Amino acid sequence: MSGFDTLLQAHASPIAREAQTLGLPTQRVESWKYMPTRTLTRTAWVQAEPRTATGFALTAGQFVKAPDALAVSDAKLTDIESERLDALFHAQGFALTHAALQHQRLVLRVPRSESQTVMLTRLANQAQEAGFATLVIRVEAGAQLTLVESFENSEATDTNLDSLCILWMLERDASGTHIRVQAANDGAHTFTSLDVQVAENASYALQSIDFGSKLARTDIQVTLAGAHARTELHGLAVTSGSQYHDTHLAVDHAVGDTQSAMAFRTMVDGKGEATFNGRVLIRKDAQRSATEQSVANLLLSETGRINPKPELEIYADDVTASHGCTVGNLSQTELFYLRSRGLSEADAKAFLQYAFAEKIVEEIQDQAIREQVEMRLLGELKHGELIAELKDSVDV
Amino acid sequence: MLSIRNLHAKINETPILKGINLEINPGEVHAIMGPNGAGKSTLSSILAGRDDYEVTAGEVLYQGQDLLALEPEERAWAGIFLSFQYPVEIPGVKNIYLLKAAVNAMREHRGQPELKAAEFLKLVREKLKIMQMDEAFLHRNVNEGFSGGEKKRNEILQMQLLEPTLALLDETDSGLDVDALRIVGEGINRMRSPERSVLLVTHYQRLLDTVKPDFVHVLADGQIKLSGDYTLAHRLEKEGYEGIEAA
Repeated sequence: MSGFDTLLQAHASPIAREAQTLGLPTQRVESWKYMPTRTLTRTAWVQAEPRTATGFALTAGQFVKAPDALAVSDAKLTDIESERLDALFHAQGFALTHAALQHQRLVLRVPRSESQTVMLTRLANQAQEAGFATLVIRVEAGAQLTLVESFENSEATDTNLDSLCILWMLERDASGTHIRVQAANDGAHTFTSLDVQVAENASYALQSIDFGSKLARTDIQVTLAGAHARTELHGLAVTSGSQYHDTHLAVDHAVGDTQSAMAFRTMVDGKGEATFNGRVLIRKDAQRSATEQSVANLLLSETGRINPKPELEIYADDVTASHGCTVGNLSQTELFYLRSRGLSEADAKAFLQYAFAEKIVEEIQDQAIREQVEMRLLGELKHGELIAELKDSVDV
Repeated sequence: MLSIRNLHAKINETPILKGINLEINPGEVHAIMGPNGAGKSTLSSILAGRDDYEVTAGEVLYQGQDLLALEPEERAWAGIFLSFQYPVEIPGVKNIYLLKAAVNAMREHRGQPELKAAEFLKLVREKLKIMQMDEAFLHRNVNEGFSGGEKKRNEILQMQLLEPTLALLDETDSGLDVDALRIVGEGINRMRSPERSVLLVTHYQRLLDTVKPDFVHVLADGQIKLSGDYTLAHRLEKEGYEGIEAA
């Protein structure tokens, strides 16, 4: 039984029947081990109703106001795109449910050598509403796309769900930058699944920040499929209250001379819980590949929980790999240093928490977005006011 | 200003200080010298409020109040400043945030109005000039990627801004080249005044050539073994700590 049964029955397609038979993953499935699934299974989800949007937005599983210049009207997929989505959707029961219930699939295309920026806002669904959509992004040879994914700012707390799957196809010499600032409302269950194919000499950069949602899960699969393909992935989760944030990352060095670098940080307070799973696979023929992974976790309360799991699987012999994972509280030496300069203990803690998060936030190249993220971050911290004042007065 | 009486302290179960007695009056500069592991840094850390150490006996009075009962920030507000032997790097926080927060915290506790951005910049530029530091330092992260000399200059810059009543300088001369040593030494000298006292912990005599102390103490095995005037530093340099201890 899952909370999606009614919706799946209404669809009556073979894939819906398959999804219903399979059901949602349970905590016995390794990648769902820490996922709180109660709300997913017990809520009687209904199809979301679309809302009006001012710009390119995702609402109720539909894309509205897609940029004309980029939207492809005939959304027929290439063989490799179909293959990738098929593999993704059959990975587990929730993905299959997504595939069965997806309302719309949109294809965006950035023509050869063009450079584009797309802002996508994910609008909040209403109580018990669920929306599913898939976006395919083709960035042709030598082209560039910056995708800024943001969330509607809303005070709602009703249980709702939004699931978006994005397939990035980066052709040779293309570059994709993906900035996500997940700030969905307190009732939101936000699912995001990214599948990124990086061809020869192409690159993909991700900066993913999680502030909001009751539950947010991001699955990221990056395949470095051509020589000199590279990816840089940065993520920050600021988890508090009774939030659950989950990032599952898998980087596949499928061929030689490929590079990946990852830095993920998590800061948990209150009864928050965060999971980070980062798997890097370097295949047998992927010689001369390089990977770096750093995972840092800050646990600020006794009731919070952090589940970090870096995994490195290397089958090639000529590779450079480094990884580190830490879980800790604030450094006593750093706290003492700040307090000895006259900062109260509370302010000193806020300084160090801000510093911890800022190491990821500073990777956001767009100044306006970076500053927005910093202000939100300061709002999340207890005693962030002093730094907010300082930023205001000295950052000119 | 500062009275240390029979101070004993240990870290974990190892006794480090074994009965320190020291009186510092306003305007005086005291140098504490001694071999490695004598307890020099422990002493300055305890005075600034670091809680890795357990004080097992004795007392410390600062301007008549029980210093050991105060939190580190309360000591800072009361006018105590520690220049760290190993200044802490804080990636992600700009130097200027820390400097401005510290200056205004101090001003608040002295009943002075907060400095506005422009006033603060004017003040900090003045001090940067004294320390021969570039303004770019303000916008770099606290001590991150600073050379040893830059970190120490940054400490003395903070001291200039915070205008302490009692400055504790823990091996501020270590890791400095000749030029940086002179700049740091002159920076300290500029701070000397009849109301301000300095406790200088050092391994070598060379900083003391610029900052001439009124008193020199030899700390060995957790106790002050010998006290004297500035000339004691020269004797130490010639005869070594072993020679002095044997005498």
